[in-house]
Order: sequence, then C-alpha cells, then structure tokens
Amino acid sequence: MTAPTLLGGPAGAESFAEHQRRLGARPLGSPALIEHIERSGLVGRGGASFPAGAKWRAVASGAGPAVVIANGAEGEPLSHKDQVLMATRPHLVIDGAQLAAESVGADRIFLYVGESHRAALAAMASALQQRPAVERARTRLLPAPPTYTAGEETAAVHFVNERVATPTAIPPRPFEAGVDGRPTLVQNVESLAHAALLARNLFPDTVLLTVGGGVARPGVYELHTGGSVGEALGLAGGARTGARAVLLGGYFGGWIDAAAAAGFALDPRRLKAAGGSLGCGVMWVLDPRSDPLLETARVIQHLAEESAAQCGPCFFGLRSLAGAAARLAGGQPERSDLPNLHRWVDMVRGRGACRHPDGAVAFMASALQVFAPEYAAAGRRAL
Amino acid sequence: MSNSLLWYTTRGAGVVSLLLLTGVVVLGVLSVRRFEAAGWPRFLTVGLHRNVSLLALVFLGVHILTAVVDPFTSLGWVPVLIPFGSYYRTFWLGLGTVAFELLLAIVVTSLLRAFIGAWAWRLVHWLAYAAWPIAVLHGIGTGTDAGSFWLLAIQVLCAVAVLAAVALRLLTSSPDPLAADRARFRERVSREP
Repeated sequence: MTAPTLLGGPAGAESFAEHQRRLGARPLGSPALIEHIERSGLVGRGGASFPAGAKWRAVASGAGPAVVIANGAEGEPLSHKDQVLMATRPHLVIDGAQLAAESVGADRIFLYVGESHRAALAAMASALQQRPAVERARTRLLPAPPTYTAGEETAAVHFVNERVATPTAIPPRPFEAGVDGRPTLVQNVESLAHAALLARNLFPDTVLLTVGGGVARPGVYELHTGGSVGEALGLAGGARTGARAVLLGGYFGGWIDAAAAAGFALDPRRLKAAGGSLGCGVMWVLDPRSDPLLETARVIQHLAEESAAQCGPCFFGLRSLAGAAARLAGGQPERSDLPNLHRWVDMVRGRGACRHPDGAVAFMASALQVFAPEYAAAGRRAL
Repeated sequence: MSNSLLWYTTRGAGVVSLLLLTGVVVLGVLSVRRFEAAGWPRFLTVGLHRNVSLLALVFLGVHILTAVVDPFTSLGWVPVLIPFGSYYRTFWLGLGTVAFELLLAIVVTSLLRAFIGAWAWRLVHWLAYAAWPIAVLHGIGTGTDAGSFWLLAIQVLCAVAVLAAVALRLLTSSPDPLAADRARFRERVSREP
C-alpha cells in the first residue's frame, strides 16, 4: 500500500460508504488518542503551527463538558486547501471532529465553514446527513462570514456565541472559556483530517499547499513534509522564469527571495528555523510581469480593510501603512512615506487584541527587506 | 543633615506628592474622555499621565524615607507597609500607608499590564478612586501643617480639580472615533441567529 494521504482516493466528493470502504470504520476517540497525537508531532494547519496534541490536552483538562469548532472559515484569499479538502474529503474532516470531541470530552461540534466556499459547504452539508444519528445530534454546520478575521479562533467562538465574528480580547483563550464559557477546541479542518488518519494508525506525513501566482498549474497539492518549497512549486509546473520572490504563508506570511525559497524545507519546525513560515500552506509566486510594490500595496490594503475596527493601532496603523505603500507603488510618494513604513512596522506590532496587526506588519516588513532596492528607488522619487 | 531639614523635606515632599497625584488623577479621568485635540502629541495625553505618576512615586518615596529616618519622629519602618502600626497619630498616618499601598498596586499592575490582561489591570486601576481621597485625608489629619490655611487651600484646590474632572467624565459621553467603522464591520460579520 502506498503511503496514506489526505486527498488520496476517488476524485470529487467522497460518500460515507466509499470513505468507510476505503479507510474502515472510525475508531472511538479517547484520552489515548490525545497521547497518540502528541507523539505524532502534528501541528495545527490553520497558520500558527501550534502543536495539536497540546491544544487537545488543554481543552480536555478544562472543567465540564467541552465544545469543538472545526475551523474551515479559510478567510485567507490566496488559500484554497481547506475548501478543496472539505469539498472532496468531507468525511475525513467530520471523522476528525468527532474523534476530537470524544477525546476532549465535548458534547457539541460546530463545523464552521466559510459561507462563500459553496462547494465545501454543500459537500459538508450532504456528508453530515449521511452520518450516524449520534454524530448528527451533536454536530451543526455553521457558515462563517467571508472576512479575513472570521477564522481567528476567538472570532469563531464569538460567532458561535453571539453571531458576530470579531476577535475578542484574550485571556481567556478559547481552551479556557470559549463557547458558553466552556473549554473549546478550535482546530483547523486539515489538522482534524490528519487526526482521523492518525486514529487509524495511518501516518500521513504530508501538508496541503495552495500553490498560485506565477506558476504553470496553480492549485492545491499534497506534499510530504520532507519535501522542499522548490518541489512544491515543481508540482504546479514550476515558477515562471525570472520570478523574483515567493509569498510564503499567504497574507500573514512574508515574501522570500525566490532563489533562496526553493531550498527551504516544508517541515514547519525546520522552516521556522530557516526564518520562513508555512502559515496556512500558501505559496504564491510573484509573476515576473507584476510589480512587487504594487502587489505588496494590494495585500496590505486588503488587510487594512479587513481590520475589525476594534483597536486603534490596527485600524489607523494599517490604513497609514496601506496609504504609504500605495503612494510608493504608484510613483508619487511623499518624502516621509518610506521612513514611515519602516517606523510604523515596529510601532504597530503587538498592539491589537488579536494578531491581525502583527501579521500585517510582518508581511510589510518582509516586503521592505526583500524588495529593498525597489523601495529605495521608489523613495528617491519623492519630491 | 539636621533633623529639622528632614522634617521640612517630609512636609514639602508630601505636599508636592499631593499636587502630582492630583494631576495624575485628573489626567487619567480626562484621558477616557479624549479631551485632547487630534494634533496633540501622545506625550501630552497617555505619556503625561504615566510619567507624572512615576514622578509622584519618587516624591512619595522621599516623603516616606525622610519621615522614617528622621530620628525625632522615631517612627521606624513598620508603618511604611503596616497600616495603623504607628504610635504617632495611628489613624491618620495609617491612611497614608493604605494610600501608598494602593498606589503601589496600581503602578505594579500597570507595569505588568501585558501579562495580567486588561480586565485585571482595570479592576486594580479603579482603586485610584480610593487611593486619592485616602491620601488627601492623610494630609488633612497628619503632620505639623495639618489645619494650616495654606495647606487647606491646596487641598481644596486639588479636591475641586478632581471633582470637576469626574463630573465632566460622568456628564459627557466619550466620543468614539472608530464608532462608524466599527458598526460597518460588525454589520459585515453579523448574522441572524
């Protein structure tokens, strides 16, 4: 048998019968599974790469019955891997959510799926109908608003509680007090799918990647974590000749010089050591025909518009950053724009209730570093 | 240093502490109201409140230290941290100890705000409304200058300033520069239950 994968199996949405024939019946979740997941070293695939086992254990040790939120909001515009996973392997995700619930002692499960991800929503809805009555009774499909921050874990909890998907202040973190004040596990759907295979003693040492931008065949690919960024780009037909940089990790990641990126290992821990971050698995190649400063300005503008307007430094700071980045990209900067970008990147960090501003300035800082010559040239155009 | 010089320093530093703490309370109460104009630099608003409070702490340190080391008072170190532990004007001096400890709690939690969370910080910070009046009472009932006209005038002035600031805060609503944007975003991410 070939090594197990998440997307292996038939094309299109897999039915419950096919799923069970292929992988066998789902075992029951238990505290032993938490230990199993801890030993596997599985990290969250939502972007933060937090160890999944540690999170399950924290929720399990909380007081009273817990709640599980399977996070498929996928608000990152460049990422499609969660949508593809839910649209093609909905039962793997639901298996993972059920196993998580049984392991941490949860009696309610929310499948939190981005409302604009139509194929994923439809597949998850029909998959849920095919599940046993016990599972259906404790599981609810909940469409998530299509905003960037809706998938942030406190925002997901806030949405379940009050139908408003804005991040809330921490502490308390969801594992301490989440849905209705109960310990709540918010776990990305890809991580849950991994847990579903781990519970069957299969070890899919893979990551789902969304490879896009200046490549021949953009799409979602599954690759062994022993692979490299170069191999991932190769699956998509390779980066176009002359590609200058790769955006690794999506809008919350950072630009990396294309030549250096090819050799980077995919393994989240090794990648972190090399100064990169896989984040939610996005690799977006800067097309050689595109202007790096314009693409950067576009991303930071989007992040500014996606600020929940709750914290001043995030709301005003990202707007100011976007304005300066746009003027530099447009060739009509003010003299203070470039120095201000450098200054504000440090001023905004760590000053929001959630990590939205931190992610945005980390992205901006990577642009200032990788495209330093372009920014210097643009800055000289100032009057 | 002669004994009388120490005693003068104690009294002077006490009065300066009162004035500075009054300034801190007024700035803190008004900062919630965003009394500043849009163009004002931050050191006049958030920065000033913080820095004046640290300056007040320095004068308070001098006030306490000179009182304790003054051989004429023979207070000892006990009343610095133990309220009502002094033989001399037990009650009125004890109020000073209480106010000092409340102030310490407020300063320490402010320095540790990033670690303890906004709500824990805020709960402790509300103690400022207790610390300040207790400090004023301590000044009214203790020391050589208690009841003197000039000290009473300063105390009345301080009380009027704080009461006016609190009244302004209670009577006017706080403008929220983000209110419209906040509402617009909430609209985008809210769904009917």
